[in-house]
Amino acid sequence: MDTFGYLGQGFGVALSPYNLITALCGTLIGTVVGLLPGLGPINGVALLIPIAFALGLPPESALILLAAVYLGCEYGGRISSILLNIPGEASTVMTTLDGYPMARKGLAGVALSLSAWSSFIGAFIATCGMVLFAPLLAKWAIAFGPAEYFVLMVFAIVCLGGMAGDRPLKTFIAALIGLFLSSVGIDANSGVYRFTGDNIHLTDGIQFVVLVLGLFSISEILLLLEKTHRGQEAVKATGRMMFNFKEASAVFVVNIRCGLLGFIMGVLPGAGATLASAVAYMTEKRLAGTTGKFGQGDMRGLAAPETAIGASACGALVPMLTLGVPGSGTTAVMIGALSLYNITPGPLLFQQQPDIVWGLIASLFIANIMLVILNIPMIRIFTRILSVPNWALVPVIAIITAIGVYAVHATTFDLFLMIGIGIFGYILRKLDFPLSPVLLGFILGGLMEQNLRRALSISNGALDILWASPITLGVWVLTAIMLLMPVLRIWRKRSAQRRALADA
Amino acid sequence: MLLQRIFASVLLLACAALALMAWPYQAQFSYEPVGPRAFPLLMLGLMGLGLIYMIFRPTPVVHSEEDPQLDRETLTKIALCIVLLLIFAGTFEPLGFILSSILIGIPMARLYGGRWLPSCVIVSLMSVGLYLLFDKAMDVPLPLGLLEVLEN
Repeated sequence: MDTFGYLGQGFGVALSPYNLITALCGTLIGTVVGLLPGLGPINGVALLIPIAFALGLPPESALILLAAVYLGCEYGGRISSILLNIPGEASTVMTTLDGYPMARKGLAGVALSLSAWSSFIGAFIATCGMVLFAPLLAKWAIAFGPAEYFVLMVFAIVCLGGMAGDRPLKTFIAALIGLFLSSVGIDANSGVYRFTGDNIHLTDGIQFVVLVLGLFSISEILLLLEKTHRGQEAVKATGRMMFNFKEASAVFVVNIRCGLLGFIMGVLPGAGATLASAVAYMTEKRLAGTTGKFGQGDMRGLAAPETAIGASACGALVPMLTLGVPGSGTTAVMIGALSLYNITPGPLLFQQQPDIVWGLIASLFIANIMLVILNIPMIRIFTRILSVPNWALVPVIAIITAIGVYAVHATTFDLFLMIGIGIFGYILRKLDFPLSPVLLGFILGGLMEQNLRRALSISNGALDILWASPITLGVWVLTAIMLLMPVLRIWRKRSAQRRALADA
Repeated sequence: MLLQRIFASVLLLACAALALMAWPYQAQFSYEPVGPRAFPLLMLGLMGLGLIYMIFRPTPVVHSEEDPQLDRETLTKIALCIVLLLIFAGTFEPLGFILSSILIGIPMARLYGGRWLPSCVIVSLMSVGLYLLFDKAMDVPLPLGLLEVLEN
């Protein structure tokens, strides 16, 4: 099969000394960034985009760097959730449930290495899935016309709301804000200046990096002001660092199960790591029944969410690489990075630039192995980083964020814009709006508009091209189901409440 | 609840204003059926619908233990922090990277509870260090501003 030939070629790319060092640097930077409060995978990756560009890295190395940083961030987030009981982001909430109790029992090192191992298995399963399915999907996606793409993107946006759970309306509004923001700037088809207010700096639109760093870094800096004192001490990682064979085999079945689950959740747009980890944890808890000590440091409770997170992080790359439709905030950032290099992800990428695709897939394997190995000697240094106080950290985050923004266009207008977006993002956050839909909307907006206009040009303005083919019809049906899901869920919750009231 | 209603109303007004702004957007020579204003108008319209629903049926914000209600003290701090960031953006080019980041970095460290001496030392070292790291080692051009005299 040529898939394996390509994969071999990918390993050739990823194993070149230059790219290996890039991946090593990426995992280290990523781990530190993930550890620090106020920086997560999204801003970590976004900060590195202009820097990778300025360094003159070739596109495949840049992508490998970003993927390594991404995985490193996930790993770093794990360290703070296991040792501090502070989840770095929403997806690691589940990790704290059993990871922190394990650390309290003196198994901190074991918990960390086991979580890295679980995540590695998850990523491994997902990468295998990606190797099997991505080329098939890419082959199928070549038949997609603009109408199909448009409908697919509508589906991706609706999925976000349908899967988000408790606040579908806010998710939709957030996504629409992003979709709208993407239309700022000169319109490529007609040359009309849209919403620029005659400002020269806005003519080519809001820069992606400015939006990401404003939304995520600046708003986080403001949020950190509310929590100036830190209550918790990090649990010291002493004793055994590595899990043993018995422990690994005890959670192996859990790993496989949650890996498959995480991969499927990752491929679905909008579901992502948060949902995958929650579902994995809940399923394992139910399967373990009374034999489990979930919540008191059960290893399965640690392995389940970690495997799912690792698998869904890699699974999310499938729709991004094959269709060019990102499913999560971080993959949206990666698309932003690719477009800086003039690479459009999509079905043709597999044929035109196999080096990039397969190099990236192979480097995911390698970065994961690096993380497991790095864990053992570096864990004491990493825990030291956890004790850096906020007052020393925040100014540095602010300064580095400014450098990242300034590196794109070298104008101070972008700095002001970033602060404005940051304040808006802070308000959104305080009002419980999720922020990553804004990002996804922003990335999808341009593509959506182009595809809509192209489709309607083909049909000469007749709207029925949007539901003419079986593919579009199928996707519309899925979209309708997704739209109904939150309504159904709310309805079910209400009727349950009513029943509870009637019983009382 | 009230805050959400106010926010939704303000955003709704903004939507309306932006829609008005978008109305005259028309291509001079159109060779395609959909012009430049359809998509933004569609998005603004959908957002407007969502916001109207939110004004009538706002969802309560769940407060977790970790994020306490905002008090006056925190709000002042946030305002101060925003002012500092704006000063940073304003002085970034005229004063140069190193001076402007020292200028705002020290008060910012104080704002987050640092003591004077350690704040000054760490921020100054960091500014110079980051300048050397990014400008010299990683080829990200940063303005030197007033310190340009030292260059030669």
